[in-house]
Amino acid sequence: MSKEDVESGLTWEVKANSRHYHKHKQRKSFLCFTWGRYSDNVVRSHKYSLLTFLPLTLFEQFQRAANIYFLLMVVLQCVPAISSIPWYITIIPLLVVLSVRGLKDLASDMARRRCDSEINSRPCDVLVSQSFMTAQWKDVCVGDLLRIRRDQIIPADLLLLSSSEPHSLCYVETADIDGETNLKYRQALGATHNELTSHPSEEALGAFNGVVLCEEPNNRLYTFRGQLQWQGECFLLENEHVLLRGTVLRNTDFAYGLTIYTGRATGADTKILRNCGKLRAKRTQLEEVFNKVVIGIVLSVLLAALLLAIGAGVFSYQVMTQTSFLSALVVDGNPAYNGFLVYWSYIILLSPAMPIALYITFEVIHTIHSKFIGWDLEMYWKQTDKPAEARNTSLSEELGQVGYLLSDKTGTLTQNRLLLRQCCIAGQIYGKYDEHIRYLAKSPMDLSWNPFSSGGLRMFSPTLVETLRGQRCPVTTQFLSALALCHTVMAEWKEGSPVYQAASPDEETLVGAARELGWVFLSRTRDFVVVSELGATRQYQLLALLDFTSKRRRMSVLVVRDPEGGLKLYCKGADVVILERLQKNCPHQESTEMALELFAEACLRTLCVAVRSVPEALWERWSETLALSAAMATCERDTLLEKLYDEMERDLLLLGVTAIEDRLQEGVPETIALLQEAGIRVWVLTGDKKETAVNIGYACRLLHPESRLLEWQELRSAFIHEILFCSRRQILQSADPQVSFFKAKQTELWATHKEMARAKTSVVLTGSELAEFEERPEWGASFMSLAEQCQSVLCCRVTPAQKAEIVKLVRKHTASITMSIGDGANDVNMIKTAHIGVGLAGREGGQAVHNADFAVSQFRFLQRLLLVHGRWSYRRISLFLRYFLFKTCGFALVHIWFGILNGFSAQSLYETWFIALYTVFYTAVPVMCMAFFEQDVSAESSLKFPELYKSGQKKELSSPRKLVTYLLYAVYMSLVLFFIPCGVFYNTAYDYQTMAVTVSMAATFAVTVEIVILTKYWTKFNIAALCVSVVMFFICTRITHSTRLFQSSPADYFFLGVSEKAFIDPVVWLTALLTAWTAVLPSVTFHAFNVILSVHNKHKVYVQIHNSSPPPVELTSRFARGSSLRRSSYAISQGAGPGRLIHSATSIQRAEALKEEKVS
Amino acid sequence: MVKEEQEESSNRPDNTAFTQQRLPAWQPILSASIVIPMFLLIGAAFIGVGVALFITSRDIQLQELDYTGDDSEHPCFKCRTNTEKCTCSMTFSIPTLFKGPVFFYYGLTNYFQNQRKYGASKDDNQLYGDLNYFTSPSTDCDPYTRDSKNMPIVPCGALANSMFNDTFTLSHTVNGVQKIVPLDGKGIAWWTDYNIKYRNPSITPLINAFNGTKKPTNWPKPIYELDTTDVYNNGFINQDFLVWMRRAALPDFRKLYRRITHDDYAAGLPAGNYTLTIAYNYPVHSFNGKKKVVLSNVSWMGGKNDFLGIAYIVVGSMCVVMSVVMLIVYARFKFAEDV
Repeated sequence: MSKEDVESGLTWEVKANSRHYHKHKQRKSFLCFTWGRYSDNVVRSHKYSLLTFLPLTLFEQFQRAANIYFLLMVVLQCVPAISSIPWYITIIPLLVVLSVRGLKDLASDMARRRCDSEINSRPCDVLVSQSFMTAQWKDVCVGDLLRIRRDQIIPADLLLLSSSEPHSLCYVETADIDGETNLKYRQALGATHNELTSHPSEEALGAFNGVVLCEEPNNRLYTFRGQLQWQGECFLLENEHVLLRGTVLRNTDFAYGLTIYTGRATGADTKILRNCGKLRAKRTQLEEVFNKVVIGIVLSVLLAALLLAIGAGVFSYQVMTQTSFLSALVVDGNPAYNGFLVYWSYIILLSPAMPIALYITFEVIHTIHSKFIGWDLEMYWKQTDKPAEARNTSLSEELGQVGYLLSDKTGTLTQNRLLLRQCCIAGQIYGKYDEHIRYLAKSPMDLSWNPFSSGGLRMFSPTLVETLRGQRCPVTTQFLSALALCHTVMAEWKEGSPVYQAASPDEETLVGAARELGWVFLSRTRDFVVVSELGATRQYQLLALLDFTSKRRRMSVLVVRDPEGGLKLYCKGADVVILERLQKNCPHQESTEMALELFAEACLRTLCVAVRSVPEALWERWSETLALSAAMATCERDTLLEKLYDEMERDLLLLGVTAIEDRLQEGVPETIALLQEAGIRVWVLTGDKKETAVNIGYACRLLHPESRLLEWQELRSAFIHEILFCSRRQILQSADPQVSFFKAKQTELWATHKEMARAKTSVVLTGSELAEFEERPEWGASFMSLAEQCQSVLCCRVTPAQKAEIVKLVRKHTASITMSIGDGANDVNMIKTAHIGVGLAGREGGQAVHNADFAVSQFRFLQRLLLVHGRWSYRRISLFLRYFLFKTCGFALVHIWFGILNGFSAQSLYETWFIALYTVFYTAVPVMCMAFFEQDVSAESSLKFPELYKSGQKKELSSPRKLVTYLLYAVYMSLVLFFIPCGVFYNTAYDYQTMAVTVSMAATFAVTVEIVILTKYWTKFNIAALCVSVVMFFICTRITHSTRLFQSSPADYFFLGVSEKAFIDPVVWLTALLTAWTAVLPSVTFHAFNVILSVHNKHKVYVQIHNSSPPPVELTSRFARGSSLRRSSYAISQGAGPGRLIHSATSIQRAEALKEEKVS
Repeated sequence: MVKEEQEESSNRPDNTAFTQQRLPAWQPILSASIVIPMFLLIGAAFIGVGVALFITSRDIQLQELDYTGDDSEHPCFKCRTNTEKCTCSMTFSIPTLFKGPVFFYYGLTNYFQNQRKYGASKDDNQLYGDLNYFTSPSTDCDPYTRDSKNMPIVPCGALANSMFNDTFTLSHTVNGVQKIVPLDGKGIAWWTDYNIKYRNPSITPLINAFNGTKKPTNWPKPIYELDTTDVYNNGFINQDFLVWMRRAALPDFRKLYRRITHDDYAAGLPAGNYTLTIAYNYPVHSFNGKKKVVLSNVSWMGGKNDFLGIAYIVVGSMCVVMSVVMLIVYARFKFAEDV
């Protein structure tokens, strides 16, 4: 390796066909030491081995504060001087928690291991001494030559050496990497192509001894720098020479490659594996609130312990030293030191107030809720056999609190399944609805004459077919030729017919429609397009491809038609763009424009198609300039190209217009209406143009036909006035828009009635306008306060980054939970930014789903996900958290009060075993059952009364105030639990142990009654859990008080015989019952009042909702709106079309070179 | 056909009541007509129980005698600070028959038997009769584990060391003659304590087991001499010792001393004058404690306990009041709705 290479960063050296050389440098590891350069190709996504499982899992688990806290408690309990309860009381629950989580981790690790071994044992062909042998993926090593067959997944990053296709082209599908389903080209170096395909390939490959020098492994998927040194020459390598692991070889019989990077997981070298991001750990708001409460509890416990310790110090000083029988017990005779020890004792004693089992229980409940989402049959999409999926299991309760839904449009609201519905050729509209009706009686449109027809045409126009077959109209023929030629679609032959692969669904649809009508696009090479026109196969030479960009909004092809030889430019694009480029006095322009209006009203997406005959001389001149541009710097070249393209696409002759329908998904309008009723603000963010977005907005009921659209100019002036004349505070708080927008112009913006304004106003913004927000952050708050008043917000022409910016804006200025839903790679940013990301498992690959927290197959499943599962989950988890706090605090805080009457000595009021079993056996199961099964209203009612969802948005059940109230309730319960038995047992012959049992009994009863009050949905599991828990208390208490256990260990089971006596003592029972009832009295009263008051309220709400329920919504929108609704656009998944790859400027030169070759 | 479909859709979730969250369930729908009567009923029940308890408690007779002697007029005043053996006697009269069986308690106040260190200061294994712990008692007993000569103390610990050691005799004045009322000390401790929890080492005579050990420093005599007359009331299973070792819950407490069940007094203490003679040994002066003797009879609910009955009545009344408030609120709503 020369010094130069090191300097240029090309330090990764791969020698072809020298396994031995690389093998001894292979990365090996022992414990945490690794050495060697090249990792092997074994996937190791599992974390644990037999040896490392225990230390690793413990290490991970003790990173959680709660576990550390309890470990600390165990350590404290081992110190005899301060141990107020024995060490095993805490360690048992801790061990349970640790082992449950450990087992869970282990199980998922085993699953990963299985998955890994499945991948590792996939077969591939490796060249071993001049013949290909089948090996497994894990045996592939850097420097190996591989043969990849059609449809095989590529096992490692390869340098493409040659392929079975001409020019050693090959096609790969990168769906697993970037989610794009269109095919991409890769091409081998000319040198390797020529050398390795001329001989019998295996021999040639066996003798290949090139050395690749390239960058160290990195995660940049779209760049590659390197060089191949071979036969004394040095070739530069680029990204187009590299096949990445995980991509699939398509349309190509064989490809031969040299392995450059291998491996996966830690230290893996392949690019895709270096790119595997992890899901960002999201925490729910509720959890954050709860964490704060837990911290609050811990601090209060520390404070209480401090006060009690001071009490202990004073008691030691004032009482104990004076008291004969106690004085000797003051340690070292020093009250302060005594207090210090008692402080720690109380921390231990009060530690059960911080619920140890909470986090693990919380996790179990979350998991079950996620399972319920996956199990829901009504969210199962039969067509793709996909149930809903909760990929992030810890967010389920936030589904019940969503305030803002930010949705993508294409593929999310719409099906992204485009159909050519109508077209207008030479001013004549085909496929009209009335035509449909007229012919429907006769027979379906007969396309049997066309052998390539596969029945995918949804346009019904026998007239057009007749015209075409009769070849009566040259414009129609040209129109169809334009459709078959002007595109970037790839054809793949399967079972004797072409299957189209396209980056743009519009193109796929149009090419498919042309095929049905007899103009069949058969195949393309770099320089030729083969089309069968009504059975006659014709080859067109492709001279240039003027690619689509979102700025140009059009694309063209320049072809030479054999045998006439005339040069033709076919162009298609958005109506505005094409119409301004037409030649003067173009025929049919007016009728076509009328057709455009009609199509727009029918909610169809239009594209104009035009043609130009290019004079030979113009072409010559133009192509020369084009060739020059190839050598220029990128940015200069782009502007020049644009100018050049613009020059060529002029004087067009209008052929016609296509009208494509992008159908709304089933149930979208209903879902949006329902979600809006539930108080969720639905925003649509789309890359489409404004008109399209607005039309879809009307179609899916996001925009009301009468609603007023606020646009940027109006908003802008409003903001400026606002900033100038009134303080923002006023705006935000003022209820009456007339006050806040005192200028006449602003008042005009708003309907005078506030209710009206809220219901009927929508904001429409475009990406460029949104960019202004970044410059003026102070507008963000104003905008959000305005948006809150509006029915909906529509953002068009936004980039993926802007989508995320909008989500951030919403998150910043409101306290609401945001949810993003999308289906494409362009939605990933926004899905990751929102509180909850939902991926639609649609047609655009898996990228969105991979990054989402939830995956559903249809937009309408959101109804159930939010209103049913979300609402239930929120309710269940809030109740669960509240109850859990109550039961642990109420039970543990008793010791504070008891401290007052036992000389602040950290004496426990419970038997130690009761403390250990209380959280696990006596109270855990009923509350878990409630958290699993609780339903206040059925799924049907949840959907019927979307208003019910609003309680989650307002955080009615989980506000910090509610939690604090519950904590106060717990304090009250602890007071009652101590002082009533205290009153009963004061100055009597009852001993401490009987009192302990009485208080335990009362505590168990009280928390049981509380769960009975909270549970509204009694399944058999709830009832069983409740009974078992109470019975468990009696049984376990008897067991720990039994003779046998005492005899085995007198010091641990010293409550011998207490329950035997206490459980038959009427005073104990009466005291326990009275205490329990008094403890839950506030809660019972509260619920009783709720019943009395809410019966009335709910009734009213239900009646109201019922009366105002929306009429059934039709799927197709009814347009009763004025003109200028044209929806002429072109959907494409990337910013620019793939034309450059198909027919780059460089390839034009090459084509010419080839032509010369042919001639010579 | 159906089979095929099932095979194809392998991802289809199961259609069970559990997975679809359609488990049959009982959903009690509460309304005012249930809630208000329920409250009323519970309130009434509580008041009923409270009244029953209160009446029962009121019928229990109780005679309490404070013999601390803080008052200089008090016959026991002289013994208060006296470290020598001291005896004092108090007289009291019972106006009507004190129904039997009469329980004889001693009571202490301001005495923190529930202090953690104090309560833990004993060796359960030693008290279980395990000889290993005779020679090396548990450190829980510190500083009452060993005496100044480093001899192990049996029974060790503060709890045993501070055992109550006043003794009482009760005499009835019949026709000017003092007649000793026989006190029954059998079965005053818990059955489990006597039979299981505390055991004497199985060595006879008992004294041999205590070779090489010392009596607790405050005790006048070693444990094996607590009751030399009865083998089954001696050593660790001495009833008075067991009663003392069962810690009180709260600083003011009573402990059963004897029962009056014998002969003439089986039906109770007849009306008349009585004299209580106290062997005053136990010092409480230092912590302002009080010593009492309590004579009481019992009912089904045990000893006299006014608190429980009153608490029941109070809570029951609260429920009733609450139900009335609910009724008013409900009526107002109903009224508002009708209008």
